[in-house]
Amino acid sequence: MSGPLLEVEGLKVEFDTWDGRVRVLDGVSLSVSPGETLGIVGESGCGKSMTALAVMGLVPKPAGHVTGGAIRYRGEDLVKASDGRMRDLRGNRIAMIFQEPMTSLNPVFTVGDQIAETARLHLGLSPAEARKRAVEMLRAVHIPEAERRVAEYPHQFSGGMRQRVMIAMALACEPEVLIADEPTTALDVTVQAQIFDLLEELRAAEGTAIVLITHDMGATAEMADRVVVMYAGRKVEEGPVDAILGNPAHPYTQGLLACRPNLQLGHAAARPQLHEIPGVVPPLHLLGRGCAFADRCPRAMPRCGEAFPPAYDVGESHAAACWLLEEARAA
Amino acid sequence: MGFAAWLARRIAYAAGLLAAVAILNFSLMHLAPGDIVQTIVGEMGGASEETIAQLRKSYGLDRSFPEQLGIYLGRVATGDLGTSAYYNQPVLNLILDRVPATVLLVVAALGLAITLGTFLGVMAARFPASWLGAVVTIVALFGFSAPVFWSGLMLLLLFASVFELLPASGMYDVAQGATGIAYALDVAYHLVLPAGTLALIYLALYSRLSRASMLEVLGSDYVRTARAKGLSENKVVFKHALRNAILPVVTVAGLQLSAMLAGAVLVETVFTWPGMGQLAFESILRRDNQLILGILLLSAVLVIVGNLLTDAAYRFIDPRIKTGG
Ligand SMILES: Nc1ncnc2c1ncn2[C@@H]1O[C@H](COP(=O)(O)OP(=O)(O)OP(=O)(O)O)[C@@H](O)[C@H]1O
Ligand SMILES: [Mg+2]
Repeated sequence: MSGPLLEVEGLKVEFDTWDGRVRVLDGVSLSVSPGETLGIVGESGCGKSMTALAVMGLVPKPAGHVTGGAIRYRGEDLVKASDGRMRDLRGNRIAMIFQEPMTSLNPVFTVGDQIAETARLHLGLSPAEARKRAVEMLRAVHIPEAERRVAEYPHQFSGGMRQRVMIAMALACEPEVLIADEPTTALDVTVQAQIFDLLEELRAAEGTAIVLITHDMGATAEMADRVVVMYAGRKVEEGPVDAILGNPAHPYTQGLLACRPNLQLGHAAARPQLHEIPGVVPPLHLLGRGCAFADRCPRAMPRCGEAFPPAYDVGESHAAACWLLEEARAA
Repeated sequence: MGFAAWLARRIAYAAGLLAAVAILNFSLMHLAPGDIVQTIVGEMGGASEETIAQLRKSYGLDRSFPEQLGIYLGRVATGDLGTSAYYNQPVLNLILDRVPATVLLVVAALGLAITLGTFLGVMAARFPASWLGAVVTIVALFGFSAPVFWSGLMLLLLFASVFELLPASGMYDVAQGATGIAYALDVAYHLVLPAGTLALIYLALYSRLSRASMLEVLGSDYVRTARAKGLSENKVVFKHALRNAILPVVTVAGLQLSAMLAGAVLVETVFTWPGMGQLAFESILRRDNQLILGILLLSAVLVIVGNLLTDAAYRFIDPRIKTGG
C-alpha cells in the first residue's frame, strides 16, 4: 500500500474539568505506514496516552471530547465513524496494549478466555477454534507450556508474562496497527528487553505497524524508525530516529536526550552524569499563547511567550517547532 | 487448598462455633428472669410451694446451673433438642416443620434484594446521567430509613386492603386445598408481600453498594482493556465488570444473613407467615425455653450454612481465592 496506514492530523482533545475546559491535545499530527515503528516520546502528562486513546475511540466520556482534526485509517476518518464501526476496528484492525500489565487483565477470567474472546468477536471463531487460537497466540509470545497455561488466571502470571498475554490478546486478530503504550514501564529491565524483542519479532513476521509510546530513549533508539516528540499536548519535533537522536533541533528534545544516562563514559568508576530539565510540565489550564516549554527552556527569547512557533524543516522529513530555527534561518 | 479440605475445615469450625452458641444461649436463658414453671403456675392461678417444687424438679430446674448446662449440651450433641412445654412435642420436629417456610422467605427476599438491587445499581452506574441514579438514591433512602414492621404494614395496607391485589396473611389458601403446581403458585402468591417487605431494606443497601462498586470497576484498567477489544458496552458492563463488581455485594449479603433472619421474625409476625420467626415470637411470649433454645440453635445453623454458601460462591466468582488462601 502506498501512503500511511494510519494518519492523525491536527487532533484536538479537550476535557471538561473543575478548572474549566482544558485542551489536552492541541493539533497533534502523526502517521505510520505498514511495517513501520513510530516512537512517541515525551514527559509524563504530555498527552501520549490520550493520543493513543483517541485513535482507539476511547477518549474517556463524558468529560473528554475530540474537538478537532482527523484520524484516518486507510483514508477513513475515525473521528466521524459510528460507535459500531469503531467496535469493529478496535481490537481487530487497530489494537492496543497498556502500561499496566498487572491490572489490565480481568482477574476473574482465564487468560485463554480473554484471548479467545477477541478472536470469537472479530473472526467469528467457534469456542473450540478460539481456544486453539488462544494457545497458538500464547506460543507466539513465547509463553512456555501454553496448553496448560491457557486455562490459568492472570494472578498466576508474573508481570512480564501478563504483558505477553496482553500482546497475545492484542495480536489475536492480526491487527494492522498495534499501539503499545509504555508496554514495559512496569517491568524490570531484563523483562523489558524481552518484550521489546518480542514486539520487534512480531513486526518483522507480520508487518504490523507499531506505535510505540515510551519515556525510554534507549528503547526508542532500538525500536523506532521515526520519532514524534510531544510536549504539553503538542508535537514539538518529528523526524527519522537517527536525526532526532543525533541531531535534535528542539531544546526540549535536546534536554530529553541529555537526561539519558550515558553509561559509556570511559572511566568505569566515574558516575554517569545525569542531567535533568529544570521545572515541570505546566498545568494545561494555565498554558498561555506561547510555547509551553518557554518557562523551562534554557534558550528562551521574549517572543517565545507570545506565540506558538510553526514547524520548521530542519532536514530530510525532520521538523521542529521552535523560534530558534527561524532565527537560525534568518542568520 | 482443595474444595474438600476447605469444606472439612469449615465444618470443624462450624461445630466449635455451634457449641459456643449453645453454651451462650443456655446461659443467657438462665439469667433471664422467669421460667416455664412460673408461667404454668401463673396460668393455673397459683399453686402450693410443694407443687412448685415438684414442677421445678420435673423440669430439672432444681439442679445447679453447671449440671443443667452439662445435661443440655449432652442432649444437644445427640440431636435431642428437648420437648416444648407448650406443644408437648419434640422441639426438633416443631422447628423442622417451620424451617422450610422461613428458608423460603429469606431466600426469596435475599434473591430479590440481590438481583433487583444489583440490577438497579448497575444500571445507575451504566447510565450515570440518567434518572436511574436518582431512583436508586431515593429507594435506598426510603429502604434504609423505614423500619421493617412499618413498611410491612404499609405495604399490607396498600396491596391487601386498598387494592386487594395480594393476600394479607398466611402461606397458602386453606380453602383451595391445591396440590402440585397450583399449590406452588399459591405459595408464591402469598410470598410476594412478606418477601418484598423483607427485601426492601436490603434492596436499598445492595443497589447503593453495587452502584459504587460498579462505578469503581468501570474505571479499572481491565475494563479499558475490554473496551479496547471492541466489545459492546453491554458486554463490557454485564460480562467483564459485573462479575468483579458483585463481589462486595456477595460479601455483605453473607454477613447480613443473620440480620435477615432477625428481620424475618418481624415480617413473619406481621404477615402471619408460618415460619420459625413466628414460632420464636410466640415461644418468647409463652416462655417456652426449650423451644426458644432450639430455635436459636437452628438459626445459628442456618447462618453458618449461609456463610458457607457465601464463601463457596465467592470461591466460584473470584478465582484468586482458590490458590490464595
Ligand atoms: N479524565 C481526565 N480529565 C482531565 N484531564 C485529563 C484526564 N485524563 C487525562 N487528562 C490530562 O491529559 C493529559 C495527558 O495525559 P496522558 O495520560 O495522555 O499523558 P501521558 O503522556 O500518557 O503521560 P504518562 O507518561 O504519565 O503516561 C494530562 O495532563 C492529564 O492531566
Ligand atoms: Mg500514558
